[in-house]
Amino acid sequence: MPTAAETTIVQARNLQKSFKRDSFEVKALDDVSIDIAEGEFLALMGPSGSGKTTLLNMIAAIDRPTGGELLVMGENIFRLSDQQSAKWRNEKIGYIFQSFNLIPVLTAFENVELPLLLTKLNKQERRDHVLTALKLVGLEDRVHHLPKQLSGGQEQRVAIARAIVTDPQILLADEPTGDLDSHSAAEVLEIMTRLNQDAKKTVVMVTHDPHAAAYAHLTRHLEKGMLLPA
Amino acid sequence: MTLTQFVAKNAFRNRRRSALTMLSIGFSLLLLTLMMTVYRSFYLSKGSPESSLRLITRNRVSLVFSLPIYYRDKIKAVPGVVEVVPANWFGGLYLDQKPEHFFAQFGTDPQDFFKVYNTWKIPPDQLAAWQHDQAGAVASAALAARQGWKIGDRIVIKRNIYPVDLELTLRGLYNTDEPADSLYFNMKYVEEAVPRAKGAAGIFDIRVDSAAAVPRVASAIDAMFKNAPRQTKTESEKAFQLGFVNSLGNVKAFILGISLAVVFAILLVSANTMAMSIRERVREVAVLKTLGFTRQTILKLFVGEAVTVALMGGILGSLAAGALVSVIAHSPSMGFFFAGIRVNVPTLLVAWLVSALVGLASAFFPSYRASRMGIVEGLRHIG
Ligand SMILES: Nc1ncnc2c1ncn2[C@@H]1O[C@H](COP(=O)(O)OP(=O)(O)O)[C@@H](O)[C@H]1O
Ligand SMILES: [Mg+2]
Repeated sequence: MPTAAETTIVQARNLQKSFKRDSFEVKALDDVSIDIAEGEFLALMGPSGSGKTTLLNMIAAIDRPTGGELLVMGENIFRLSDQQSAKWRNEKIGYIFQSFNLIPVLTAFENVELPLLLTKLNKQERRDHVLTALKLVGLEDRVHHLPKQLSGGQEQRVAIARAIVTDPQILLADEPTGDLDSHSAAEVLEIMTRLNQDAKKTVVMVTHDPHAAAYAHLTRHLEKGMLLPA
Repeated sequence: MTLTQFVAKNAFRNRRRSALTMLSIGFSLLLLTLMMTVYRSFYLSKGSPESSLRLITRNRVSLVFSLPIYYRDKIKAVPGVVEVVPANWFGGLYLDQKPEHFFAQFGTDPQDFFKVYNTWKIPPDQLAAWQHDQAGAVASAALAARQGWKIGDRIVIKRNIYPVDLELTLRGLYNTDEPADSLYFNMKYVEEAVPRAKGAAGIFDIRVDSAAAVPRVASAIDAMFKNAPRQTKTESEKAFQLGFVNSLGNVKAFILGISLAVVFAILLVSANTMAMSIRERVREVAVLKTLGFTRQTILKLFVGEAVTVALMGGILGSLAAGALVSVIAHSPSMGFFFAGIRVNVPTLLVAWLVSALVGLASAFFPSYRASRMGIVEGLRHIG
């Protein structure tokens, strides 16, 4: 039962997800139940193909389970219409990819501004938010650089700024340091830690790397779609 | 940045491809604008206000056959008719076959010619000089300028239909806003040299007293000669010119055919570009959706992008067409057919509308498919 001090922000019950491939079925998630507390920094580990990304995608409402239930911030997100879930993601979820996924023709500033174009903020307000986010990741001097003019670590920091610019409660990161050298990885992990500690974001981070997982409070392991006991 | 600016950035993401697409759409729209302009000048424009008071009577069977000259007085007696003058196509050769030396020559009656064409301006002394010289001629000031003639020059027109060469002296120059770059001489010149030409008129140019009188006068004239040996066909000057155009073949079908082909071609070009550029951005679409972009917004982004490129190409092409048409209208070789032609604003607007619609139609399907694609598949997409 969630207490006042520790509210459950993600509540998964018997989540199932299977993909049909030709004639046989792949069980990406097999009866996964997990509670994630608000303000948690959780690391998800497990071998490749164990269902880590699939679980993250469920929480982000970009994929639907074939069975089970999932409440995120008390909301049954699979009941939302397409349009509602888009708006919900825009407001509540920050998603960080392994390969950054910045838009190549946009500057750092414009990439970070993208999610704000969907809000009612005016130009000046958007500018303030973008600069705040870029400052938080230490890139206030790279505002007008294009992605190709940035290092991998800087690109990922722009991507983090983009993920937090709408001030979402939950940050989901899918192997955020997977494409980075150890120095840049450490920078990124420190930013994530600060976002968790100072900005009180709930962070769920998928990783292969035990060094990265060490930044989290808690590590859970997936194997063949099943969540191993804590 | 706004969503509109995002669209613009995407449209020129691959500069070379966008430029090529714009150029092909531009070239197609150039053709389309030309076709529309020719079509309009042949089939839709009413002619100048002056020409709307003029009728032309010709032989019902064909322009090749003439009418008896005595029809002139009978036509003049029809209520509503102000003046009648005969005109005979001479069809001779000036200097050589070069297109810049081509112009129309008509034999007519100098006494009454400028009473029918009463809005054309000629100084009275020049008109008198023409009327007093049976070997005199008048030409439009524009034609004279192009051929380098001045008053008093000798102009020799070599024989073609009639077995006589014309040795004329330029006696006057007339000015008019209408496309009328022709040379007029006294029909008696030919009649005296070629007796069989006597008593015949190729056509009659008629001026009526009001635009409202046009249909009534036309049917009255044709009714009058219904049982005569040579029946007539009377129509407005504009309709007459159109009949001449149509004698060249099925111009209408030709123009429409080309226009359709052009629109279809740009549809393919634009669709191909959009399909390519959307296929390359499957993953990006998934990223945008992850950030909270809805299907509708994504659809609008892509369609907006295609419309931007197509519209810019269309504007470029139609403006180029405007410049080209102005060159053609003033060129010595094509000026005769296309004198006075120009690209007007409605034509431009239609051209732009067509290009925007082409952009929209070409982008809709690939954009719709991209916008419906699942985020998970998009993110797993390599490339
Ligand atoms: N869209 C999909 N279509 C088919 N199979 C998929 C799809 N997404 C994931 N899978 C399969 O589900 C399993 C779990 O995938 P994933 O969650 O990406 O694993 P991880 O992130 O732990 O490497 C894998 O076997 C993968 O091949
Ligand atoms: Mg994965």
